[in-house]
Amino acid sequence: MAKPRGTDGSLLASLPWTLAALALAIVPHVQFLPIWITAAFVACCAWRYAIEQRRMLLPATWVRALLALACFLGVLITYSSVSGVGPGSALLAIMAALKLLETRKRRDQFVLLFISIFLVMSSLLREQFMWSLPYLMIAVLLIMTAWLRMSATQAESATSSFRTSSRLLMYAFPLALAMWVFFPRIATPFWAVPIDTSSGTTGISDTMSPGDISSLSLSDEVAFRVTFDDAIPQPRDRYWRGLVLHSFNGRSWSGREHATDRSARDKIVVSGAPIAYTVTMEPTRQQWVFALDIPYTWSLARTTMGSQHQLARVQPIDQRIAYDAVSYTEYQTDVDKADIFPRRSLDLPEGSNPRTRELAQTMYAAAGSKSAFIESVLQKFHQEEYFYTLQPPALGNNPVDAFLFNTQQGFCEHYASAFAVMMRSAGIPARIVLGYQGGELNPKAGHLIVRQSDAHAWTEVWLEGIGWRRVDPTAAVAPERIDAGMSGSMLNGAAAAWGLSAPSAFLHNLGLSWDAVNAKWNDLVLGYGPDKQNELMQKLGMQEPDWRKMMLTMIGLVIGMVILISLLLALRYRTPRPDKAAILYRTFVKKSGISIAVGESPTRFAARAQAESELDEELIDDVTTEYLHARYGAPDSQSLQRLQQTVSQL
Amino acid sequence: MSSIQWPFPKARFTSGISSAANQRVQRWAKKRQGIDKAVTTLRPGRVYILPTGVGLIYALMSFAMLLGSMNYNNNLSFVLTFMLAGLGFVAMHQCQRNLVGLELSFAGVEPVFAGQSAQFRVAVSNHSKSPRYGVMLYADKSVSEVHDLPPGESRVFTLAVKTDRRGWIQLERFGVRTFFPFELFRSWAWMHMNLRGLVYPAAADDAPRPPPTQSAQGHRQHDARGEEDFAGLRRFHEGDSPRHVAWKAYARSGQLLSKQFAGADTSSQWFDFNSVPTEDIEQRLSILARWITDTDQSRADYGLRLPRREFPPAHGEAHRQQCLEALALFGLDDANG
Repeated sequence: MAKPRGTDGSLLASLPWTLAALALAIVPHVQFLPIWITAAFVACCAWRYAIEQRRMLLPATWVRALLALACFLGVLITYSSVSGVGPGSALLAIMAALKLLETRKRRDQFVLLFISIFLVMSSLLREQFMWSLPYLMIAVLLIMTAWLRMSATQAESATSSFRTSSRLLMYAFPLALAMWVFFPRIATPFWAVPIDTSSGTTGISDTMSPGDISSLSLSDEVAFRVTFDDAIPQPRDRYWRGLVLHSFNGRSWSGREHATDRSARDKIVVSGAPIAYTVTMEPTRQQWVFALDIPYTWSLARTTMGSQHQLARVQPIDQRIAYDAVSYTEYQTDVDKADIFPRRSLDLPEGSNPRTRELAQTMYAAAGSKSAFIESVLQKFHQEEYFYTLQPPALGNNPVDAFLFNTQQGFCEHYASAFAVMMRSAGIPARIVLGYQGGELNPKAGHLIVRQSDAHAWTEVWLEGIGWRRVDPTAAVAPERIDAGMSGSMLNGAAAAWGLSAPSAFLHNLGLSWDAVNAKWNDLVLGYGPDKQNELMQKLGMQEPDWRKMMLTMIGLVIGMVILISLLLALRYRTPRPDKAAILYRTFVKKSGISIAVGESPTRFAARAQAESELDEELIDDVTTEYLHARYGAPDSQSLQRLQQTVSQL
Repeated sequence: MSSIQWPFPKARFTSGISSAANQRVQRWAKKRQGIDKAVTTLRPGRVYILPTGVGLIYALMSFAMLLGSMNYNNNLSFVLTFMLAGLGFVAMHQCQRNLVGLELSFAGVEPVFAGQSAQFRVAVSNHSKSPRYGVMLYADKSVSEVHDLPPGESRVFTLAVKTDRRGWIQLERFGVRTFFPFELFRSWAWMHMNLRGLVYPAAADDAPRPPPTQSAQGHRQHDARGEEDFAGLRRFHEGDSPRHVAWKAYARSGQLLSKQFAGADTSSQWFDFNSVPTEDIEQRLSILARWITDTDQSRADYGLRLPRREFPPAHGEAHRQQCLEALALFGLDDANG
């Protein structure tokens, strides 16, 4: 049982500070945590506050043990795992909440503050926004102030603790900066980072079922930004290749497995000018790496090309990454029939979408050649009553049939799927490519912004002697979708049709400026990896930078700065030599007729002198105030003058 | 402040160092520093510093955070890690500077009875322009209160040292230390001022009744008023008989004086070392101490007769202290000190 609180002097004056630090540390987690954990945390804080206010008992050990067990099981059920950022921070939050219920001594508060620090860190692992930097600075300031409050004497005010921790943080800042710049970055992690399933994946999914989703989200979120070394390619060439789907079960397309194929890249024959660019990609928690069709070289580690020329990294992209790549828009692949797998790219499930098959075979027979057939299918989409809409009706069991013959409304996925099925029906190998198309140029920063709303699906068909060729059936239906990009077609088409006014140019410009700042931030701070570091080291004059040289530089810099800080502190804490003020004060002491006792401060001496000495009480007060001010206050010649005047009156 | 030592269970000067090594370190420090003057200013060279248990955990945590940042290649968590590491470095220097330049001066110690704690008073003055926080004094088994020292201020710290026998209690070494800021480091300075305080014999609890006054025994009956051997004048104390007031002197100087007489006074007692009814010397001293304190409280005059020393009957604080000091140092080598 807990002892009655307050009876052993254990009321924790500094607890509100610790609570504040903890609360600030948990704020960025709230949107990810299951609601019951946040509720439990708030409840424990309130409970603890009540305990402190009313001097109640802390809950008994068995109550706490029961709560701990329940919470742990809760986390296990919610996440079905205890490792990774999501469950990790959930556990930290639970630990903090339960620790509050047994915090009786100062040392328990140490634990709480350590947990706060880990919570701040795990929030950074999850998201790195621009405000994350000021947030972490404020959090550190608050945590360190709480830390000081924990051991502060009663005489020390909260303001002075705050000032002290701010001052120390200011000293620490240059040290941190030097370490941050020079600490060698490594490209490969030590251990596999568990995928955080709690926050879900963003971007494109790795299956496609055109009949099931009846609307496409129009998220304005940035998928990636691209900076081109030279000219930016035309909108119609901006196909950002992601993953390739080849197996179709009648309803949906899939092709998730990524088989690394070392020969895939060798089978690409390129011509024309190379296009070099840098992609800064937002985390997707998937392994797909996007590049302009078709990527030829790329700088991302552990990233390989699959047999269908899709790029994938071994571990999922769980944080913002930047990579350089070179692509060619004119290329040929897999010209030799032996390179492709005809069965895989021709396979259609028996009995599905029978009307589409029939139509394709009829049209193929009428067209005569494969390329003529392709052309006639595109013409069909273009000339007949097919509409591009982001809100198509749902389709039934044979979605391609339903789409082609009944609804005739859809977006890229519907057209790509229908087109591929028709190709396959006619014996032409076809597959679906998922990625992004287009992108908006940010004139303020010169980069291209590719948003989630630019997600796109198109098809590739294989032709004898040509190899895989990109065919985008959506372009036949809604050419403006391809030429102007998604946001363009949205502004002019869909939004206007629904009676929404387009966002004003001012707001749009504001958005672009914000995007430019964000891109700069990503580039400077978040994208600072091994390559950028190497570059910077070379700019700073380091020959052939390696981790040893960087480490030595870092250590040297840190030692130098620590010595500087030490000198600064020595200056701050130096004892002033006996100066004019001290000499004047000594004269005053002599005149008072009593002597200063050991360890007696001027204020105490003043009190004694007023009682024992014959000097005027007011005079003693004046001398003491002016002396303290002249000697220990801010440099100020006036108080010295006043001291001189007062002493001469004696 | 014992929680500072956490996670180490016991408070020590230097955590993790065995007491033998500890003693060697202290001998080394003493040899290095020499004996300190009664007023000593702390130079930087004599302020030592080591991390506390919390500091070690903090370092471990920073290292773990570094590994995590490297693994996730997360630049913002690198910022956090390096801020904390930088704060650690700064805290180390701040901790040492919090003591350097302080002036320590011995401010006395009151005599106590054996078994009580001697309260050594040491004044610590901050002559710099910056406040010092969380300063405390400590000795082998005691820690003083914690004080902040604003610029130009002094504080008197008391160190309680347990006494167990009469004589001199030595405070060969004490220390001043601070955990400010953050308690990550403990910086301290050892002081060797060779302080000593007087310890009176413990006043016996079960003392026999003091010997009866001499007048009651019938000694010098004729001299009941004790007015024969005039010895001098002294300041009038409350409780002095008005008969003994030197009224003539009062008329001259306006000051109340009492006449003092040598020899027996009706209200005076003699405590004789040799007549205490016990064999054990310490026991005798103890009983004498009890008689003196009790009689002192009743404001009666008393005299003390020790082998080779004698204190004629009188009363008052000075007399009491003289007598008790003689008891405290009885038979000790430096008894004349």
